[in-house]
Amino acid sequence: MAESMCRTLRDGSLEGEQAPALTIKDITASPFGFHVFSHVLSQLSSFILASKSQSRGIVIVAFSRSPSFYVDLLKRRGIDVNSSHKWIQILDCYSDPLGWKYQLMGSGNCMDVSHETPSNLSRVCKDVKDLDKLYSMILELGKGLVGQGKDRFSVAIDSINEMLRHASTPTVAGLLSNLRSHEQISSIFWLLHSDLHEVKVTSALEYLSSVVASVEPLHQTASGKRGDLENLSLLEQNIGKGKLQVRFKRRNGRVRVVVSLFLLFSHSFFFGRVWWDLLPLIMKR
Amino acid sequence: MIMEDAEAPHHMLLLRNFMSQGLVQNQPLLYASPAKDPRGFLGTLPCPSSSKDEKSRNHDTEQEKGLRIAWQYKKYFSENIDDHKDSKQEFCNDFDLRKPLERHFYSGQRVDCVSIKDSPNPATLHDRCATFLAQFPRNDGSFSCMGRIAIQSLCAPQCELSNMDWDILSFIRSLKSMLRSANAVAIITFPPSLLSPSFCKRWQHMADVLLSVKAIPDEDKELGKLLTGYQDMVGFLNVHKIARINTQVPMILEATTFSIKLQKRRFIVLECLNQAPIDGSSGTSYGTSGGCSGSSKSGALDF
Repeated sequence: MAESMCRTLRDGSLEGEQAPALTIKDITASPFGFHVFSHVLSQLSSFILASKSQSRGIVIVAFSRSPSFYVDLLKRRGIDVNSSHKWIQILDCYSDPLGWKYQLMGSGNCMDVSHETPSNLSRVCKDVKDLDKLYSMILELGKGLVGQGKDRFSVAIDSINEMLRHASTPTVAGLLSNLRSHEQISSIFWLLHSDLHEVKVTSALEYLSSVVASVEPLHQTASGKRGDLENLSLLEQNIGKGKLQVRFKRRNGRVRVVVSLFLLFSHSFFFGRVWWDLLPLIMKR
Repeated sequence: MIMEDAEAPHHMLLLRNFMSQGLVQNQPLLYASPAKDPRGFLGTLPCPSSSKDEKSRNHDTEQEKGLRIAWQYKKYFSENIDDHKDSKQEFCNDFDLRKPLERHFYSGQRVDCVSIKDSPNPATLHDRCATFLAQFPRNDGSFSCMGRIAIQSLCAPQCELSNMDWDILSFIRSLKSMLRSANAVAIITFPPSLLSPSFCKRWQHMADVLLSVKAIPDEDKELGKLLTGYQDMVGFLNVHKIARINTQVPMILEATTFSIKLQKRRFIVLECLNQAPIDGSSGTSYGTSGGCSGSSKSGALDF
């Protein structure tokens, strides 16, 4: 089931091992990747709050959504956000990724962008092209949460596609690989829309991860066009269905493949091996 | 050259064996990898298994043949090694993965480590290889000293080198030419999925010996029924090409697919894949004798 991939992130890594890394990838024929990402994020957050996970905090590198979106998301899932600055930090690469607004502010032409998120929860990154700076900001935010000792934190990157817009594949791969090797990082996960890049890029990201979750359509249609339109209108109402295939690279060198069907209904995911498993879950709602 | 599988680290098992084998014979080693500190990897090299462990294992001829074929290129050198009076270690293929290699084998000048992570181009690696290989010039008939080069994951995505297709190809060709005039062998591992198809073909063409490793799905009942000893298997090894230098006689192997098994989690064993061809009329069948090359590759192994 999909919960096993959340458990892998929750369990984190052993001493001397690289941190588990999850790639969530989707395609236009089944565009539910962000929903899966949000689901994993809220699951991991509840594990952290309940002290059930190895990591004690999470740093979200937000490219495609604003920090306030994530605060609302967690609130909606019933996660306590009042004490959230103790366990969550958001690196805001959404508001001003290239520093243009900051430059305009300097010349007095632009009103200050008032951030709805309290500043103790997020920090703005004004230059996403400098991945070394991004790396040190992630570490700084994380260490701010868990301290300099042995405690670990998790990292969530909401859009690798945005990162790849601004930096080359080797630099992004280098950043991810460095994060995985850092002794204070417990687990990492990221979202990739695989249609937007060449196969080589997707393969490189899969090479770097220990778990790959692919969101696929239920049936491969010859011409996806009509399916896409249907999907998009349903997606606006947060309804959808599809297949999630998760591949785990196990420590013994074997690959474990888990396939489950999912139903997305109003921001909630229901997973099951077969459709009739899902019915009672939906009825309960 | 070994083609890696992006989903499993089996190429590391082969690399470790290769590196330990040389170090135990006092052969200098050059190791390059995308890690920031490649020296750390040396601590994971296995120790040769002691002879009493060997006798307790049942080594049937089938397995030995498999090992011989996979490490075949070693034969060219092993036949010519002079018997040094002070060499304590026999040339060995068997290593105990649970026991790390003693430190004195890799400390000191014998092992040179290079990190290819931040190299802007292959020139640094090329120069290090050239300096290393200069120690083993090939004069007629003398095999006093031999060297080994192990390059891991040459086109790993976190290296800038991964974008320099033609430069890396030139480097490989140059390394090949340097090896022709040196007493040394080299292993390069690379993940083919990270190269474009045309470059993947070019890299494969460059290899004298070409192997590939493949991961096995976990808890696959059908595969378990089809293959004997599935529980112990961790992956497959395919032999695609064997070096044929200065001869036009091709080598026809009896088997090209081997299973990689971990016995007692300590010893790697390569076994010919034993599977009789599937007869449609009588359902699935498998035999434990009579290796079958080629035809066992498709079908059962497609997943």
